[in-house]
Amino acid sequence: MNPSVYCTIGPFFPAEFSDGCSDLTRNNGKVARGEHILLSGRVLEEGGKPTVNTIVEIWQPDANGIFRHALDPRCGQADPGFFGWGRARTDADGWYRFRTVLPGSYEWEGNMRCPHLNMMVLAIGLTRRLVTTAFFPEDPTNASDLVLDSVSDLAMRARLIAKRDPSADAAGAAGYRFDLILRGAEETPFFVD
Amino acid sequence: MKTAVQPHTGYWPYNDQTQMDRQIPRYPRSFTRVPAHPLTERPLTLTELTGPAGIENRLGVEALDLSHAAPEEPRALGQLILVSGRVMDEDGSPIAGAVIEIWQANSCGKYIHELDRFDAPLDPNFTGQGRLITDFEGRYQFLSVKPGAYPVIESGWWWRPPHIHFSIFGPSWMNRYVTQIFFPGEPLNQIDVLLNGVKDEEARQTLIFEAPPPEMGDVQRIPFHRDFVLRGKRATPELP
Repeated sequence: MNPSVYCTIGPFFPAEFSDGCSDLTRNNGKVARGEHILLSGRVLEEGGKPTVNTIVEIWQPDANGIFRHALDPRCGQADPGFFGWGRARTDADGWYRFRTVLPGSYEWEGNMRCPHLNMMVLAIGLTRRLVTTAFFPEDPTNASDLVLDSVSDLAMRARLIAKRDPSADAAGAAGYRFDLILRGAEETPFFVD
Repeated sequence: MKTAVQPHTGYWPYNDQTQMDRQIPRYPRSFTRVPAHPLTERPLTLTELTGPAGIENRLGVEALDLSHAAPEEPRALGQLILVSGRVMDEDGSPIAGAVIEIWQANSCGKYIHELDRFDAPLDPNFTGQGRLITDFEGRYQFLSVKPGAYPVIESGWWWRPPHIHFSIFGPSWMNRYVTQIFFPGEPLNQIDVLLNGVKDEEARQTLIFEAPPPEMGDVQRIPFHRDFVLRGKRATPELP
């Protein structure tokens, strides 16, 4: 059977479905291990215009690179204070904000996946989700990540690396900036889905 | 430590021929938001093959009855409907434990949302949103009232036909799925730019509820049915 037909999330995704979902640093009353970070950015359409009530979802491993999922052979050692999924909606200026942990790296089929988190974008005008991956600056393994390497254009590849933003630091968490530019100059690379 | 071998699921990219067009005439935002640059192919790794299993423990699910805002309160205005179906993978195997988020307009076509500028009234007995989980056979069902049509105010011409939004969490990041399901026989279906953005006739029909005849004697509610196929096939075992 063919997969069901995707359709846009539309303008009226309930606020109640995203409220409280943008902080990944707590789970079951426990605090996540590792370095806490604030990841924020703007979701922009052509002409650099902000998009409003765009839904951004993220999925990532814990600080040790372990997923809370049965397919991860190290699942039993996953951080009980970390679930790994989050959702945020953009405000009138196009900003989304997450509080999470710096993801750990892990080995996959003989290669290292360097620290990263997966992102998906749902918005008016998008009949399908857009998927991409955010990486972190200064990580030495960025040079050999399977997914990062698949973006051959070096200028576009650089757009997949979040920028350290000390002005966004708050409450013991380091700030990182990652804009999602859906279309136009400086367009973010998105992956086949 | 013993590590169980998990069944592997294979994923292939969505077939554009049986999906909605990415850019649709008279849907202007699809021309300012869909990336101009071709999408990049990339390998699937553990980050894609895993996903937020057990999310019901974080978000909460319920036996969903949208026909009341609260159990002891009066019923919402509108025609009572019972929506049901199954969630399965591409092999037809049921997906148990899929979390489904549902949102819809009330019977007048009005959403409880700050961005909704349609001047239709809200119904104090209707919230139009909730979350449930599929049972061990992949089945879901909920009571609601039939949503009304509403205008896309900025368009000056486009009326959305009655529809219900579904957002489904399958077992992995790869089969996270969002859609809108329409009602059969609605005149506005003929001009809806989204519904008609699916060129393949058979695929377009899967965005419309089936309307099985009501059970004999059941004069309470009208049944509607829609199954969902999430991406993913059990991969053929590799030879040693």
